[in-house]
Amino acid sequence: MLEFWLFVLATAGIYTIFSLGLLVQFGIAGLPNFGNGAFMAISAYAMAISVVNGLPMWAAAPVGIGAAVLFGLLLAIPTVRLRSDYLAVATIAAGEIVRYLALNLQELTGGAAGTVNLLGPGIAADYNSSWLRFQSGVRGLISNLVGQRVPSDVAFIAILWPVALLLLAAVWYMVRSPWGRTLRAIREDETAVAALGKDVFAYKLQAFSVGAALAGVAGLFFAWQVSSFSPDDFRPTLTFYAFVIVILGGKTNVWAVPVGAVLFAGIFAGTRFLDFWPLSVFASGDRAYLRLVLVGLGLIVLVIWRPQGIFGNRREDALET
Amino acid sequence: MKPKDAILSASHVGMRFKGLVAVDDVSLAVARGSITALIGPNGAGKTTLFNCLSGFLPGAAGSVVFDGRRIDGLPPHRRSRAGLVRTFQIPRIFHRLTLIENMLVADRAQPGDALFGCFMRRGATLARTRAATEQARDLLALLSIERLADDYAGTLSGGQRKLLELGRVLMTDPKMILLDEPMAGVNPALGGKLLERVEHLRQERGITFLFVEHDMEMVMRVSDRVVVLDQGRVIADGPPDTIRADLRVIDAYLGRADLGASA
Ligand SMILES: Nc1ncnc2c1ncn2[C@@H]1O[C@H](COP(=O)(O)OP(=O)(O)OP(=O)(O)O)[C@@H](O)[C@H]1O
Ligand SMILES: [Mg+2]
Repeated sequence: MLEFWLFVLATAGIYTIFSLGLLVQFGIAGLPNFGNGAFMAISAYAMAISVVNGLPMWAAAPVGIGAAVLFGLLLAIPTVRLRSDYLAVATIAAGEIVRYLALNLQELTGGAAGTVNLLGPGIAADYNSSWLRFQSGVRGLISNLVGQRVPSDVAFIAILWPVALLLLAAVWYMVRSPWGRTLRAIREDETAVAALGKDVFAYKLQAFSVGAALAGVAGLFFAWQVSSFSPDDFRPTLTFYAFVIVILGGKTNVWAVPVGAVLFAGIFAGTRFLDFWPLSVFASGDRAYLRLVLVGLGLIVLVIWRPQGIFGNRREDALET
Repeated sequence: MKPKDAILSASHVGMRFKGLVAVDDVSLAVARGSITALIGPNGAGKTTLFNCLSGFLPGAAGSVVFDGRRIDGLPPHRRSRAGLVRTFQIPRIFHRLTLIENMLVADRAQPGDALFGCFMRRGATLARTRAATEQARDLLALLSIERLADDYAGTLSGGQRKLLELGRVLMTDPKMILLDEPMAGVNPALGGKLLERVEHLRQERGITFLFVEHDMEMVMRVSDRVVVLDQGRVIADGPPDTIRADLRVIDAYLGRADLGASA
């Protein structure tokens, strides 16, 4: 059971950081970016590639985040002026382009086999050892503190969650700052914001970049957690899940993101344990689909019943233009 | 008018939509510190002319000089920054922001408006927020909507939205304001108060006004000068009394009574 909760917390921490980025882009600035998973992928790949090419971890991590922001700008410059429905389509396409590139640029990414093949097939590439050394150092520290050997997942969580909470606090502060207020105004009516003398395009690029940077941080932790990943880990569903977390949290509510992420990760991992009757009549492979169906149905019911999300403000939501 | 007395001078401004010439070779100079009314029947091109001046129609022809500087070719936010601001005929308010927040978005002196500004200039941001909030509350009081200050703007009535938009442009500390039917839907008693306020702002702060209005009584009462637009062209331009006489002539000649009809 402990193992289950550690898994939930680790997944939820990564989703928290990732979804925070989406909250800034979509909830606050009104830019539905369905390609946010690609920023996560780019950061993870840029970090891994840098490490196997000899860069130390402390330098490779910012390279990853920088690559995510750079790609974010590259995608944002031609698309953020689009109406939001077209932006959604453009970003989903961009996300898929990145995934297919990662699949096909085998020399660079290791292709479908994933990062084990980063240095080419047959040579096991490893980008993770210095992270694992750091993590086991932290594990040792915690073990000494509590007086018993803790699982390594505990160390991962002990590094991940402080970072996540720090980013949460920073985003919370930025969202309620004048900068965040201007983004919300852009979400409501960008023509009016321009008429008031603000460079709407620049603000949108900033919001997009902040979201991409956060996705980049999430990508780093994802890569560190798994020690080998492949393009398949960054399917569009990744971003959809983050949308679910943000929407259930009420779209603009920063502190609802970690709650939503834990809930989501819990339900998602938890439905694995649905092996009691009548569900036990299904084969375990079918049950895997069944839990997706159940999660989906639950979402539909929730969105009909509470369109403003679990933590959202109904009064505010009713004013939607 | 000598060019140096004009805060805004537009020459040969034109805009066509497909076959329709909405603004047809309009040349217009507005004196600094004056109140000028722009009138004309529905579809005359008044709003389109505002869009040309404020930069919302990048395809517009002609040149516009504002405060000694060419501004045609500049995007809307740069023209606004230069001190030429506008309101919209159909108010554009930020529905899910409170009235106070709507006002604060318009603040130009806020260091926290920049990315990371709230961290890097934390003290200055907080101080400016306090000062601007006070200023915003005063303006809302002036517009008689201060008791709604902390409500969402989306709950406002049509007339109240007009008032909020007016308050918002005043927050930008502008040199000149283009008002597109500011009194439409506003209670006449409050409208009268607003007119006094406009005159007061012109006197105290030297703000220049160009406004579109269908209510002739109001137009004649406050404006120093009236410009009449019809089918995209300026057909009359002069002091209110002259225009009043002119309009009767035009009406009789064209057989139309809609030039000065109230909205
Ligand atoms: N974006 C547009 N595309 C096509 N035609 C337009 C557009 N905007 C305005 N027009 C046309 O230009 C003409 C002038 O419209 P405009 O809105 O400027 O009139 P107006 O003088 O403001 O009228 P009102 O008093 O009714 O507000 C109208 O015939 C209108 O149909
Ligand atoms: Mg109009």
